[in-house]
Amino acid sequence: MIELAQPTLTQAVTSSEEINNASARLRQTVLETEISPNAVIGVFDSWAKKLNTLDLDAAPGISFLRMWLRRGTLEPIVARELGPNSLHGRWHDYGRAKCKAFPVGVVGHWPAGNVEIQPILSMTCALLGGNAAIVRIPSGLFEVTQRIMEKLVECDTEEVLTRRIFMAAYDHSRQDLQEAMAKSVDGAMIWGGEEAVLQIRSLPFPHWTRIAVFGPRISVAAMDAEAWSDPENQETWCRRIARDVWQFDQQACSSPQVLFLEKKGNGESTAQFLLMLQRAFEIENRAHPRRAIAGALTSAICRARASWLLKDTTHKAVFPVGPDWTLLIGSGSDVPSPTQGKTLTVLEVDDLGDAVAKFDGNVQTLGLAMADSQKESKVALLAGQRGVDRIVKLGQMHVFVPPWDGVDLIRPMVRMVRHVSSTEGENAK
Amino acid sequence: MDFEEKIESLLTVPPYSACPLDKHAGLLSILREELVYACQRHEGYRNYVHNWPIDYQSASLVADLPYLPVGILKTDPPLSLVDRAEIKRTLTSSATSSQQPSRVVVDSPTARRMTKGVVAIVRDFIGSARRPYLVVDTKDLMGEAALGARGAAIQGLQPFASVVTYCLTLNDQGNLALNRGRLEEFANFHTDSEVLVYGFTYILWNYLVVPLMSEGIRLNLPKARILHSGGWKRLQDEAVEKTLFNEQLARTFGCTPDRITDFYGMVESVGVIYPDCSEGNKHAPLFGDVIVRDTLTLKPVGEGEQGIVQVCSVLPSSFPGHLLLTEDRAEVIAYDGCPCGRRGISFRFAGRIPKTEMRGCGNLQVNRSLLN
Repeated sequence: MIELAQPTLTQAVTSSEEINNASARLRQTVLETEISPNAVIGVFDSWAKKLNTLDLDAAPGISFLRMWLRRGTLEPIVARELGPNSLHGRWHDYGRAKCKAFPVGVVGHWPAGNVEIQPILSMTCALLGGNAAIVRIPSGLFEVTQRIMEKLVECDTEEVLTRRIFMAAYDHSRQDLQEAMAKSVDGAMIWGGEEAVLQIRSLPFPHWTRIAVFGPRISVAAMDAEAWSDPENQETWCRRIARDVWQFDQQACSSPQVLFLEKKGNGESTAQFLLMLQRAFEIENRAHPRRAIAGALTSAICRARASWLLKDTTHKAVFPVGPDWTLLIGSGSDVPSPTQGKTLTVLEVDDLGDAVAKFDGNVQTLGLAMADSQKESKVALLAGQRGVDRIVKLGQMHVFVPPWDGVDLIRPMVRMVRHVSSTEGENAK
Repeated sequence: MDFEEKIESLLTVPPYSACPLDKHAGLLSILREELVYACQRHEGYRNYVHNWPIDYQSASLVADLPYLPVGILKTDPPLSLVDRAEIKRTLTSSATSSQQPSRVVVDSPTARRMTKGVVAIVRDFIGSARRPYLVVDTKDLMGEAALGARGAAIQGLQPFASVVTYCLTLNDQGNLALNRGRLEEFANFHTDSEVLVYGFTYILWNYLVVPLMSEGIRLNLPKARILHSGGWKRLQDEAVEKTLFNEQLARTFGCTPDRITDFYGMVESVGVIYPDCSEGNKHAPLFGDVIVRDTLTLKPVGEGEQGIVQVCSVLPSSFPGHLLLTEDRAEVIAYDGCPCGRRGISFRFAGRIPKTEMRGCGNLQVNRSLLN
């Protein structure tokens, strides 16, 4: 039984009728009241300011959410994805025709349970396209989502957005409710691990439903020899790596699970760099200590440490007594199985290309620190060929900017309507 | 091995008699020596120990020594500190079809200590006399070179047996079935005698209690001492709780529920089992210990707190199983002073660590083909 502290937007749903009714109401709202991206961004911008409160600072990802909701972030994204003039919901020239983005209708969101701000991020993508949103809130995210949404309610006094949102709280095992939600949406944004994605994709969506899947991926970090051995920038890079590992407890698809270090031609040891990385992890851990952990993850971390060190006597590891973080150190070009829980495998490799060439489509983001721009271009090209969708600077692996997983974030949930005028040109005579 | 004599001397003392401080000092000293020995015999293990954040040579607490997660024993070939020729038996844990079982190699010295360890513990609970031993299982389990968890437990109690009777057999389909004739013969013959009964918890229930109860049959064995182990997961799935189990089992045997003892044992922690005392608590013997670790910090928890169970035993020398972090949870009742009179930690199991699936988008289970 799901219990909610306050019924602000998020509702404990127990029957299919509740979802059907909400969907019908939301669809009516979309039909009756068109909303431009500019109007949506106006509310988002106020919301971002409201989120700037101390009581929310501990929520993982909240600082990023504040940045994402700002006008300065969203306006260029809307313009790029939906075209010029789209900000104000106007038609724009498209050759001899005109084009305008229209919402698909009601978009259902199935966020993953590991990223605290994901229900909100997913929902904002649909709202920017003028849609309404039904969001299923994973059980572990009720409280944080509720707190964030309360801030939206405070600033959206005209209910410009809140009347387009229905947040549903129900157990993921309620197949009847999952099916009801699927049947009632015109678009779906599905995030999560393999099991969750497969389960949701198999639901009975209407044939017209647009489905965007952001499925299970892992991410990788890599540094060329000049970057990791540069004494001036070593500390900065290490801090960035630690930050990328810490966010979302390393459970997000954009979290680096392995760091490849290109070996230096002169045989210079990585020991000094690894010591710096260890310090960066210790500092990050002190600044952002874990407040809770599942017993299964603690076990998995202990197993990863032991199996790594038992498997090969050339392997090394650095870790504290607790499960806080782990560096597994060795060499090789294969991407190891992820452990998560701030367990980073650091592998020395002769050539970064050797590692990237082995990517098999599972790698979403490649975080890079390269001193040699030509080498970076080669690595980026190879990574793109090998299925990587995002190639970014270390420290920015989680920056949520489209395209994400190789696709836009707003455009998949809008219809680009093309209008060829009958009153202009030859046909108008 | 210099520590052998020290272990032998621990096995001759009543297992729950030492004051905790003295016990820990003795254990720490032996375990350190065993770690040195294990490091000499296994270079991978040496690598693990040398990368441990606390130097075991200068550690002042058993809790600071490097422990292995029990899952690491699920390797094939198994982790071994002895040459192949010295391996007398390989013990395997029970595992579901989707899991690899643990494999534990046992040489002669370890086997000998294992037997002595179990005898010392069980003697403290039921006395040392030999008595007729009814095994609620099949003799087919008792292989020569390989032995599963059930077989190991059955064998561990044999020093208390004057004669052994197995009352289950395998039918034509390979399923367990109650041999009524053999059971009745045992019950009729030993009605007035002290007898020892052992079975896995779910086997006792499903293959003896349930069929006999359904026909209203009761055995007349009022002096039976019934020991069972293997955990409650399967019976909990069938909504059978401990109180109901004890009542029905006692009624079936015609004895009182206080003659039933549930004990926890794991193949990986050879020679150490944890029976319930009269207060319903479990205790660690002189030659072993239990540390309950906080899941967030992996530091020992306080009294009244729960955490992950680490078992410690000085008995094995054939594999690095001295310090094992299990996948079970327990609550520490007290670090000393159980009303039953046994010294040292008293604790109660609180089930398995939930196998929560990591549901994140970074949870990758299968490879996907490129450009798919």
